[in-house]
Formats: sequence, C-alpha cells, structure tokens
Amino acid sequence: MSTTTAPGRFASRHRKEAMVGILFVLPTLIIFVLFKFLPIAGAGAMSLTRYRLNGDVEFLGVDNYTRLFQDANFWQSLGVTLGYVAIFVPLIMAVSLGGALLLNKLVRYSGTFRALLFVPYLSSFVLAGIIWTWIFAVDGPLNGALTAVGAGPVLFLSGEQWLVLGSLAVVSVWKGFGYSMLIFLAGLKAQSVEVEEAANIDGANVGQRLWFVTLPLLKPVIFFVLVIETIIGFQVFDTIYVMTGGGPAHASYSLIYMLFDVGFKFFDFGYASAIGLVLFAIVLILSLVQRYFFEGKADQ
Amino acid sequence: MTQLAESEESQRVGGLPTQAGKQRNIRPTVKLKAKRQQRTQRWLVAVLTVISISTIAPLVAIIVLALSPEGEPTLPYALPSSLTFENIVRIFNVGTFPRWLWNSVVYSVVSVVIVLFTASMAAYALARKRFPGRNLVLWSIVATLMVPMQATLIPTFILIAGMDGVNTLWGLILPTLANAQAVFLIRQFIRDLPDELFDAAKIDGAGEWRTFFAIVIPLIKPVLATLAIFVFLWHWNDLLWPLVVGQSDAARTLTVGLATLNTETVSTPSIMAAAFISFIPCLVIFIFLQRHIVASITSSGVKG
Repeated sequence: MSTTTAPGRFASRHRKEAMVGILFVLPTLIIFVLFKFLPIAGAGAMSLTRYRLNGDVEFLGVDNYTRLFQDANFWQSLGVTLGYVAIFVPLIMAVSLGGALLLNKLVRYSGTFRALLFVPYLSSFVLAGIIWTWIFAVDGPLNGALTAVGAGPVLFLSGEQWLVLGSLAVVSVWKGFGYSMLIFLAGLKAQSVEVEEAANIDGANVGQRLWFVTLPLLKPVIFFVLVIETIIGFQVFDTIYVMTGGGPAHASYSLIYMLFDVGFKFFDFGYASAIGLVLFAIVLILSLVQRYFFEGKADQ
Repeated sequence: MTQLAESEESQRVGGLPTQAGKQRNIRPTVKLKAKRQQRTQRWLVAVLTVISISTIAPLVAIIVLALSPEGEPTLPYALPSSLTFENIVRIFNVGTFPRWLWNSVVYSVVSVVIVLFTASMAAYALARKRFPGRNLVLWSIVATLMVPMQATLIPTFILIAGMDGVNTLWGLILPTLANAQAVFLIRQFIRDLPDELFDAAKIDGAGEWRTFFAIVIPLIKPVLATLAIFVFLWHWNDLLWPLVVGQSDAARTLTVGLATLNTETVSTPSIMAAAFISFIPCLVIFIFLQRHIVASITSSGVKG
C-alpha cells in the first residue's frame, strides 16, 4: 500500500499511528472486556435468571427482584446497612475533619502527627477487626476500663443492634479516617490565609471563623469526601465478616454480607446478582449526584 | 513528646524564632499575640498527642501481644514479663501460614507489575495516539470506576470458575488486572508531558517501543511509584475477592487466612503474631515512602 505521493504517505502515517495505538491499548482492552465489561453485563443478565452451581440457567424475568422486595432478609440487611451508614458517615466526617483542622493549625510537628494519625489506614479491615475484637471483648481492655469506673461490662459486639453497628463503625472510622483527613488537609492548605485574617481583624472568634469562613470555603471537598465515605459505608463487609459474622441475630447482616451468603453459602447466583445490582444502583446514584454538583472540582 | 514540644515551642514561637524575637522588641501587641499563639500551639500539641496515642495504641497492642509469652496473663491486665519471638516462630511453623504469606506476596507483587505495565501501554496510546474508537475505549474504562466490585463479584467468580481458575493464583490475579484508576491516572500524567519530547524522539528515529521504554516509562516514574504503593496495599489488604476465589490453602491469602484464624480457637498471641506479620510490609512501605504517599493522596485522591 505504500505510495510515494504525498497524500498517500500522509494516510499511511496515520494508519501506522492508529495501528500502534490499537496495539498498545489491546492488552488492557482485552482484560477489561473479559473481566469488567463482561461481568457487568453478566451481572445484569444473571439477575434475571435462576443460575445454579452446575451451570443450569433458567430465565425468570424480574422474579428475583420481586422476590427480593418481598424478602424480609433483604429489608433487614438494607436497614442494617442504612443504619450503619447513618452512624459511620457522620462519625468519620467529624473525626477526619477535626483531625485536619487541628493539623492545619499546627505549626511544628505537623508531619509527625499526620503520620501517626495516618498509620491505621495502612492496615486491612481484617487486621482492624482482629485487634478491635480483642479491645471490645467482654474481658477486653475497654470493658476493663468501664468496669473500673463502675459502668459494668458492655456487650459491644453481641448486644443491642445500635451498639453493635456503632462498634463496627468505630473500627472502620479508626481504619479509614486517615485518608479523608489528608484530603481535608489539602483542601485547608489550599485556602488563602488572607480571608481568615480579614475575618480575624473584623473581630470574628475562632468558632465564627470556622463556621462562616473556613467550612464554606471547604464545601466542595466536604461534599467529595461525604460521597466517597457514603459509598464505602454501603460496601461494609470485612469487619462484619471478622467481628460478628452478621450477628447477633442478623443485627449486623449488611447488604454485602447477604450477597456473600446468598452467593457462596446457598449458591443462589442469580438472586445474589440482583442484590449486587441494588448496590450498584445506590453507588451509581451517589456518583451521579457527586458528578452533577462537582464536575471538575473534585479531581483537582 | 508533649514536654519536648513545649520546651521547644517556648523557644521558637510558631516555628519562626527570629521573627518573633524581633517583633518582641518592636510592638507590645505583637508580643501579646505571639504569646497567645504559643499557648494555642501548646494546646494543639497536647490534644493531638492524646489523639495520636489512642490511634496508635491498638497497633502497639498487637505488637506487644504478638511478642508476649504464650499462656501468660498479659494485656490488658498486665504487661508481659518478657518479650519473645516464639509466637512468630511458631506461626511460621503452622503448616499453611508460609503458604498464605507467599500467596499474598504473589497476588500483590505480580498484580502490581502487570497492572502498571499494561496500564502504562494503554495510557500512552490513549494519551498520544489517534485511533478510531479511542474516546470510546477511554470512557468505557473510566465508567467502570462507578461499578462497585461487589456488584460484579458473582459473574466474575463464574467466569473464573469456568476457566478453572478457582483456588489458583492466576485466577485470583487475572480479574484485578483491569484497574481503571491506573489507566486513568497514568493517562492524565502522560497527556501533560510536553509534546517536544515525543517530537524529538521521532526525529531521532526512535521506534514506538523505544519511545515507550526510553522516554515514557522513565518520565512517568512518579505516578508509577504512587500506583505501585496503592495497588500493593489494596491487594495485600483485600478480603472479599480472595475469600471467594482462594477457598483452599493453595490460593488462600494472608488476609483470608487471618480471618479464618480469628474464627477458630487460636490463642491470642498466635493470632496477634500472624496479624503483626501481615502488617509489617505496609509499615515498611509507609516508613520509607511516607512523604510520597501523603503527597499522592492530597494531589490525586487515589482511593482503594
């Protein structure tokens, strides 16, 4: 095909560039088609079937979904997940924002403290679950301290539902807040000092400066972290698997825990896929809300 | 730490000793302000010390428990009479533990290497080459970021089962090679490189592979290093996918092994020794690359 005329050379150069581009993208594209696009399509398709372990497939239409919406376990697990998110998200927002505000005002040692506060983020949820199971145990250090002040042993992981969900949320906050704290800190460092100084000269006290100046300026970052942590909250699984096994009496039976049970204990793959699609819908809505409000701002 | 902080703090107000010293002689109001700042700083250090201690305490407890003699009444009611490495030695002799550790190393390291290599190639093409369907490829890859891994868990498992990949390391690794965040971040980085570099390479007659290896790879080292750290940590700490695919010891990772140990009746020092070992690589990475990790989170928002 190689011609000596100018337009021909031009075309062949373009063709060569395209060839190289396709060649370089091909390995990734094959991986994505096989292990991302195909499973995503598969998840949708499977949720409409009864899919048995031996590979027998039976088309059900929306039966899995109608079954899901009549399944007491599903509503239970959705309630558990929402309850968990309701505790986890405000808690991690408060802790990470509080930590960032303190670090931001610190003149010396801020690197040291930043590092110390960040270290738990490196651990796995499994590691976090193991150590906090020990801390929360009936004869553990926390109950030891509570008993010493006369508050009696508290059943952190086997007591009342809100207590169990709260205890699980504490573990995730401990493990996860370092990341959000750094995002907040970057947002705070990006704010100009002049605005706050102006407010200071105008006579605003610390609380007023925080509420009327610092936080409004930080709004995009706060929203960004809020969405991310909410998505993470909906995906809670590891700590539950390690610490409570969904119990006591389904008190911590989250959506993903139910998906795991339905999929890999009862091998009801189609039904489990329907649960996965519900999670996808939740995450998608959250992502779209974030994108809608903060297009371009969030990835700065 | 607080005491040290305070004594140094009183010498240098707000880390600016000379300025503060000069100001002290000039205006009394500035002196007053500096004093107040100094007091605030002392409070901040005190509060942060308390918070840091409570954050670090659980990790210190793991280390102390891991090094405590077996069978001795120890934390929380007593400190161990002596520290010993016998728990760590013992856990290594528990038949399957070294296998779990090895699986975790393979799962993390092999994934990192392949992901970074294939994602760099794709990112280079997506950033610098024109070809039909380029934007479609880019945006369909980025769009997968919105799909949580759990939503595709079942189909991915069935796919791997269909390929006879259950309980194998390659079955564990393959699906994780589709890392949209890596492709996206590296592409952004390559896109921002100056065009002149690539023109110069072309004029020098460098072929595509040569350009890729001699120019692109060295220049994108910062973003590769960042991704290497995070992809390693995600894989090392991952539970759900390895739990589903690594059902027997042949492909069981350390995280999954730890979770199973925790449900069995294993003594506290043993499980803490195992947990401690699992944390060492993460800690070592952090100690050496702390600044790098912090900088990359704050600039690009890498999230696992």
